[in-house]
Amino acid sequence: MRNDMKDLTQNIRKVAFGLLSLLVILFIYLSYIQVVQSEFLLTHPLNRRTIEAAHTTQYGMILDRNDEKLAYSKKEGDIFKRKYPYAAIAAQVVGYDSVTYGRSGMESAFNGDLTGNSTSVAHLGAISHVLGKKAGNNVTLTLDINVQETAYKALGNHKGAIVAINPKTGAILAMVSKPSFDPNMIDQQWKNISTDENSPLLNRVTQGLYPPGSTIKVMIAEAALKEKITDLKRTIFCEASLKIPPDYILQESHLEAYGNINLEKALAVSSNVFFGTLSLELGRNRMANTFERFGFNKYPVGQDLQEVASHLPKFSSLGDGDLAQTGIGQGSLLVTPLRMAMLTSSFANKGKIMKPYLVHKITDSDGNLMKTFTPEEWLIPTSSQLADEISKMMVGVVQNGTGSSASLPGVLVAGKTGTAENPQGDSHAWFIGFAPADNPQVAIAVIVENAGFGGSIAAPIARQVFRAALQ
Amino acid sequence: MINIRQLERNLLVVAGIIMLNGILAVSLAHEFIDYQVLGAAVLIFTGFMMVNAVLCKAGHVGDPLFLPLAAVLVGLGLITILRIKPELFMLQVIWVSVGLGAFVVSVFLSRRLEQIAYFKYLCGFIGVALLLSAIVFGVDIGGNKNWIIMGPIRFQPSEFAKIFIVLFLAAYLSERRELLTLATKHYGPFVLPHPRFIAPLITVWSIGMLMFILQRDMGAALLYFGLAIIMTYMVSGRFSYVIIGMSLFLIGSIICYNFYSHIQVRVDIWLNPWSDPSGRAYQIVQSLFALGSGGIIGSGLTYGFPTMIPEVHTDFIFAAIGEEMGLMGAGAVIMFYIIMIYRAFRASMLSLMPFSMMVAAGLAVSMALQTFLIIGGVIKFFPLTGITLPFISYGGSSIVSNFILLGMLFSISEVRGYNAK
Repeated sequence: MRNDMKDLTQNIRKVAFGLLSLLVILFIYLSYIQVVQSEFLLTHPLNRRTIEAAHTTQYGMILDRNDEKLAYSKKEGDIFKRKYPYAAIAAQVVGYDSVTYGRSGMESAFNGDLTGNSTSVAHLGAISHVLGKKAGNNVTLTLDINVQETAYKALGNHKGAIVAINPKTGAILAMVSKPSFDPNMIDQQWKNISTDENSPLLNRVTQGLYPPGSTIKVMIAEAALKEKITDLKRTIFCEASLKIPPDYILQESHLEAYGNINLEKALAVSSNVFFGTLSLELGRNRMANTFERFGFNKYPVGQDLQEVASHLPKFSSLGDGDLAQTGIGQGSLLVTPLRMAMLTSSFANKGKIMKPYLVHKITDSDGNLMKTFTPEEWLIPTSSQLADEISKMMVGVVQNGTGSSASLPGVLVAGKTGTAENPQGDSHAWFIGFAPADNPQVAIAVIVENAGFGGSIAAPIARQVFRAALQ
Repeated sequence: MINIRQLERNLLVVAGIIMLNGILAVSLAHEFIDYQVLGAAVLIFTGFMMVNAVLCKAGHVGDPLFLPLAAVLVGLGLITILRIKPELFMLQVIWVSVGLGAFVVSVFLSRRLEQIAYFKYLCGFIGVALLLSAIVFGVDIGGNKNWIIMGPIRFQPSEFAKIFIVLFLAAYLSERRELLTLATKHYGPFVLPHPRFIAPLITVWSIGMLMFILQRDMGAALLYFGLAIIMTYMVSGRFSYVIIGMSLFLIGSIICYNFYSHIQVRVDIWLNPWSDPSGRAYQIVQSLFALGSGGIIGSGLTYGFPTMIPEVHTDFIFAAIGEEMGLMGAGAVIMFYIIMIYRAFRASMLSLMPFSMMVAAGLAVSMALQTFLIIGGVIKFFPLTGITLPFISYGGSSIVSNFILLGMLFSISEVRGYNAK
């Protein structure tokens, strides 16, 4: 009997061991689900939790420099919905916030601040409720919505981009990209918006790559002066075209022969022959150095701008024809409108380029300052004296050259037009410049895709933006 | 020697603090303290303390862990029910109160457990009758056709039947364990006792199969079937019985799988829930979302979205705990069950009467199987079976039957005859 009891106990022990092992395996599998698979399950598109959670928190506002609301959360019933009063006007800068399609622009870059708790806290689960706040922080941009709106309207139905910067600080006043989209309707219209061949989601100011055309000539002029290849007096005899051995012919855009012209005149009429000649005289090395000096290979300029890198030709293996083309902003050279505005601002700001920035400050929901962004110097590509000389010549471009449509009564405007040939169709119309030239407040770059001449299309748009910015 | 009832009391206080803390957390998150709810929680806590006092007064020396473990599980259940289905909170409080009463009665009656062995056939008959009644008169409530409605009372007989079936099997098997050990017939590589002695086991197996087929109650079928096999193994020590039993069940399952589309659906969504996450696999996928979103620490009480899971307050209550209390909460629940089941087996092994050993072990097996089946189903470790989570799920039958079961275990853990040794 005792023996028999022992057997029974043994068997029960085996069963207990087996069943308790099963429960331990269950515990291990639960840990696998809740730890290893957690991220996959939490972010699964069919998991509606993120939608519901987003709707129950009041995000902070995105404001322009004058505290105009660009994005805010409005309570509708039990849930908060994101509203964008200026709809398409600043859509790529402000961005959208969709539970299904994610976020873009400032909504994405400053999501942690807008929701009020940074992601590190969010991972703490229940504890984050103790640390987190009820309403998110407000993000104040450097953008001036009036300038933005003027620029947006000035572009009309064209595709293109406009960026306006305060050259003394780097603060971005306007950043327009067209075509645009309505971030209020992102969920309803996602399919159209995301598949549109004109890419409305793309911020052309920082992500659009274009040949700069003749606008690059201001930089070639600076290089020629700096390297003492020319002075203001030297004249070059310009025919309607320039033969570059072995087989390339560089032509003036209207096939005019300008005759003997100096640098200032050449910039005012935008002579391809003149600047082609200067580029050849500068040679590959000094041309490459110039682009480097102005920071075209220094990328990115700011983390939050989501900029794409400019495309520079490989100077060391460039033929003479291609080198001359690069000097007039054609060939394989591709830049963003932001970089052209920064180039302009170096001449407006005594040879200094300030780091462009979009966010002025972050405040909490009670208005207390949390973080403030101060202007930062980025590069000093040229001297104050050279900047001044280029600036004067750019005034000449507007006063009695191709840029006359950008002139404003009573304001000294400096500028340079560009008409960039491209494989996509009609030329891109460019204008870069700043105003007032004697005390620059705003530097801009305007590009209108496939619209024709810079002087007739881009310069009048630039004038409207100058007027709004200087008000 | 420390006073074990005092230890029990201290542990009950800890469990009470956990429960009150959770209930306050839910109330504060809703920025509204319902004094009725708070009062009910205090009442439950007082109930547990009173049971402790009664046990102390009557000089019981049973395992001091059973009652506090039940208290903490009941507390977690009440917190979760208040969170996800507040309208059922008061009802659950009533069920727990009834359960506590049933516990005391059960402890008292189980003093004479051996005498129940004389009525083993009556127990077997009641158990089978309860199960059959569910099969014959079963009413479909919430997808499970295992409810009996008698006037104003409705209950799930299968929750109570398991106690009677365990009593019957324990008595029957412990009397015949020599016969089962000394198998008389050889069938190829298998050794089997005479069919006469395993007839009752076949009955239990058939009823399991009937429930499987007629009621679509895969959980209960597995539970009773597993119970019969494992208890047979315990007395015989022959693993071949387990293999034979499992093969029989597997054959039955394969037949069912081929003939019944709902079984196919269950198995298919278990194997690949992502093939139809918005349709047939909706519930299990939602459960996984809840668990995954909870992560390690959980979303915090009231900050998750467990109500996205259909039937979350009964079958899927574990997923709600996993979401809002995280792995820390859900893992703790599994740990509590592990401790409780371990203590149940310990009580069984310390007991000196084969019958009470078998009863305690059988009850432990049933609790382990039930916990494994439902948690495994909710976390997709196992095909989903509709079965309740002991002490946590909402439901009178489940709560009361589990307290009765616990009372029996408590009584057996008093190690009768220990002093006589």
